Amino acid sequence: MPSAEAPWAVEFAAFAKSYPTGWTGGRIHALRPLTLQLAAGQVLGLLGPNGSGKSTTLKALAGLIAPTEGTCRIFGQAAGSDAARTLVGYLPEAPQFSPHQTGREFLHYCAGLSSLGGATATRRVDEVLRWSGLGEAAERKVGTYSKGMTQRVGLAQAVLHEPRLVLLDEPAGGLDPEGRLALNRLIRDLAARGTTVVFSSHLLAQAEEVCDRLVLLGRGRLLAEGAPAELLGAERDANPGPSRLEKLYLEKLHAHE
Amino acid sequence: MSDTAHHGPAASLRRIRLIAGHTLGAALHQRLALLLAITGAALVLGARWLRDFNFGAAELKFIADFGLGAIGFFGTLLAALATAQLFCSEIESRAADCVLTRPVRRWEYLTGKFAGVVALLTLFVLTLVIVLGVVLAVRESQLGATLAPLPVFLQACALQWLKITLVAAMTLFVCSYAGSALFASCAGLLLALVAQLRGFAGGGSWAWLRVWPDLGLFDGEALLAAGHPASGGWLLSLAGYWAAYVLLFVALASYAFKRREF
Repeated sequence: MPSAEAPWAVEFAAFAKSYPTGWTGGRIHALRPLTLQLAAGQVLGLLGPNGSGKSTTLKALAGLIAPTEGTCRIFGQAAGSDAARTLVGYLPEAPQFSPHQTGREFLHYCAGLSSLGGATATRRVDEVLRWSGLGEAAERKVGTYSKGMTQRVGLAQAVLHEPRLVLLDEPAGGLDPEGRLALNRLIRDLAARGTTVVFSSHLLAQAEEVCDRLVLLGRGRLLAEGAPAELLGAERDANPGPSRLEKLYLEKLHAHE
Repeated sequence: MSDTAHHGPAASLRRIRLIAGHTLGAALHQRLALLLAITGAALVLGARWLRDFNFGAAELKFIADFGLGAIGFFGTLLAALATAQLFCSEIESRAADCVLTRPVRRWEYLTGKFAGVVALLTLFVLTLVIVLGVVLAVRESQLGATLAPLPVFLQACALQWLKITLVAAMTLFVCSYAGSALFASCAGLLLALVAQLRGFAGGGSWAWLRVWPDLGLFDGEALLAAGHPASGGWLLSLAGYWAAYVLLFVALASYAFKRREF
């Protein structure tokens, strides 16, 4: 159980986010009150259809949105605070980076913004280029990268400064099967180094394969959460594979309709 | 990474410099700045052949007025369009998310963006001033006449620079809450137009416009017409006026941007 000295890596306490709909005075609830904890070093997968609250959850952790109610903390620090932002690496959904820079130049720029300089920056840029499989494309302009390579450079910038928490919004979006396998390998590698990873996905099979914990979201509500084995129970062995998880997800989603 | 490396004025300045350099690099790779610089330079070079439209003014004065007008007009377009495009495109492409989730404060990001645009505008003005200076020097030697002393010419060009950087600051304020580059560009140009016409605001229901900056004060053509350098006190007060408004717009933009959600 995390303590004051070693707090939860991620802690949502009745965190809710809603937006006004305009002149009518109504509100759209992007995320209903969410209470959730994640221990350091775990991989958490956020699953759900479009509009279920996955990106909102990740943006809250990244400090890009403020809560309407409740709190969100990262290693004991309020999300979005100066202290929290030194602990986070973030890959947004389908990003497009500066097309005029080479992959290496872009990563050096990101390193500078994270206060990495000189030999440390050069070493880390080389490491993440190799780690993400972009070593040979490092001197090419980012504008010439394929979708998969853009995703890799995005992943590289997210882990460049060795954050304790890595947030990935739909990292498998647009990747071919080979790219997805490589992504799974990179996520497992991060977890093996003790980094906490939270990512969103539509790909239930991928989530089941790499996650220690799963959170099923639907229309801003937490539908279910737990370890894949807990969620799937004994039936997992009888019916292995993603189809069982998909079935469970649909059951939970329809139960709230 | 030690926590102290992220804090303090030196760390802030380093991040602002990085963002400014990145912004300038992006701007120089866009066709917009090049297109406006080439069009402006072509007009300045061709001013000599447009003197039939000079309405009786002396040729050298016409060339200078035309050149300064081109710097002001195309500079205003560049200030509004480049600021909007460089700022909003990074937000729309989500590249800004990767910056703002690092230990970069929102005001640092805004200031860096503004500094990058100011560097671009400085290069733009310098290029056109050199072209205009060469055209004037050639015609002066051919005609055996002099337009105005060099310090007056340089002061007139500096006023144009002050004017267009103020337009960039106004547009930055719009960008801090705008949802698209198109809206920010149009609003920036509209605000620049209001500021250009601000001198005509009388009393009554238009009196509120007096709080808005008056771009008519940065009239380089009037300085050239006077033919002698402006006093140091006047230049200082004008620079103070410019600095106060730039600071105000950047502060307002920082306030709005700090509350912006992505």
